[in-house]
Amino acid sequence: MSAMLTIAEAARRIAAKQLSPVELVKTHLDRIRRLDPGLNAFLLVTEERALTDARAAEARQMSGALRGRLDGIPIAHKDIYNTAGIRTTAHSKLLEHNVPTRDAHTVSKWADAGAVMLGKLATHEFAFGGPSFDLPWPPARNPWNRDHFTAGSSSGTGAAVAAGLILGGTGSDTGGSIRGPAALCGIAGIKPTYGLSSRTGILPLAFSLDHAGPMAWTAEDCGLLLQGMAGPDPEDPASIDRPIPDFTAELGKGVKGLRIGVVRHFFERDHRASDATRAGIDAAMDFYAKEGAEVRDITLSPAADYHAVGYLIMICEAFALHGPWMRERFMDYGELFRDRVSLAATLSGPDLIQATRRRRMLCREMAAAMENLDIIVSASQPGEAPRIDSVPKWANMEKPSFTMPFNVTGFPAISICTGFGEAGLPIAMQLAGKPFAEPTLLRAAHAYEAAMPWRARRPAMAD
Amino acid sequence: MSTPSIDEAELNTMLLRAGLALTPDQVRAILPGAEIFRTMIARVNAPLPREAEPALTFTVEKS
Repeated sequence: MSAMLTIAEAARRIAAKQLSPVELVKTHLDRIRRLDPGLNAFLLVTEERALTDARAAEARQMSGALRGRLDGIPIAHKDIYNTAGIRTTAHSKLLEHNVPTRDAHTVSKWADAGAVMLGKLATHEFAFGGPSFDLPWPPARNPWNRDHFTAGSSSGTGAAVAAGLILGGTGSDTGGSIRGPAALCGIAGIKPTYGLSSRTGILPLAFSLDHAGPMAWTAEDCGLLLQGMAGPDPEDPASIDRPIPDFTAELGKGVKGLRIGVVRHFFERDHRASDATRAGIDAAMDFYAKEGAEVRDITLSPAADYHAVGYLIMICEAFALHGPWMRERFMDYGELFRDRVSLAATLSGPDLIQATRRRRMLCREMAAAMENLDIIVSASQPGEAPRIDSVPKWANMEKPSFTMPFNVTGFPAISICTGFGEAGLPIAMQLAGKPFAEPTLLRAAHAYEAAMPWRARRPAMAD
Repeated sequence: MSTPSIDEAELNTMLLRAGLALTPDQVRAILPGAEIFRTMIARVNAPLPREAEPALTFTVEKS
């Protein structure tokens, strides 16, 4: 049996009693045993828990009591998601032996939906700061080429999905930590609208920028996983209480009539992306236009404006959280985390207020741009994955991020693969939608993915 | 947009004020990042219109 199913296909076979959840999870556990020693995607494999979950799913399958399309699906959680009775470390020495007593809200929701948890996944330390080689565990490696970076911080999830160790997993995204690894690992990852999915029980990095979301091989699978995550949570002050739509309801409806705006200056002038990345976006826009979408270029503030606002707020919010530990246990953090977050000390109160005032203006700008659009397009990453040993310490500050604008504004955004670059590694584009318009965003992403036959190509190590 | 530079002594003073008592080597390791951070700080301090204020809301689409 191939382990390289999508969630949609596995769910269909489980519902038709053509696929045993127990056999499926055994296949994935075997893949983890064989492949993960070269990937470092997992910090902890919870084999007994996985088999218990899978047997329960199989019992429901046999009795006709499946809980939905996530029932029996092998998943894992980024190791900043609290798991009751199971070590949750944030990939940090500071929490090396931390065992939470409660599941994160979203962990509970996936478990209630019948998802089978295989373990905890590598992250950059406290969801910020990698790739680091001075932590208790090594960084995750890119399955397309293990000498290369996964991006982060949801690095383990990106690697594990791309290598077929799991069918989906959780990520978190404060400045691009879902969309970055999705892009470099050649998978899909969606940062939902701020407030759509609960942050309760997820170790925070920056309160006003943190988003919880899923990562999987396809946009459709992301929609299925998001269905199991989204919803109000009274314990999360950012959580919004509104009806949750069917995130896959618009899939297959095509893109005719959708209005698409391309922020070309982001990836051509503000931070010039690679030739392959730009060509991939151009080809995707040709596809959308041919399928009946209205495609035009739009102009926003420079990407550096969004990046500066987001980065300053992120560092300050992170220091507000970590300051007490940093004052006492500075050297217990990895170099990248401690040196980057220390920069908060150089920011004044008025500087932070100026950043929040500018954030307000950028939110208004983005909302105005979206009034006559359904989708905004940009790059996800500037190019293919660099070598993991050649990522400069200050790389995430030197040039503006393509993903940060949608953390600053809270708009939903997804990264999907647009093919492969000169080195044979994945390239990607980013689609963003209106707040709470995830069904339309997923519709546009799915239409493109479904039309690209090369989406069947998996990393050679995963075959 | 001018970007004021920062030196090791100034950075150390700021770190101490934040409660981070670091060694000279540790301060030097942070200095290149502080220079880049300064450009970001200068960028957010560019003039803003009076209506720019920190309230953060967005409008939910009406179906």
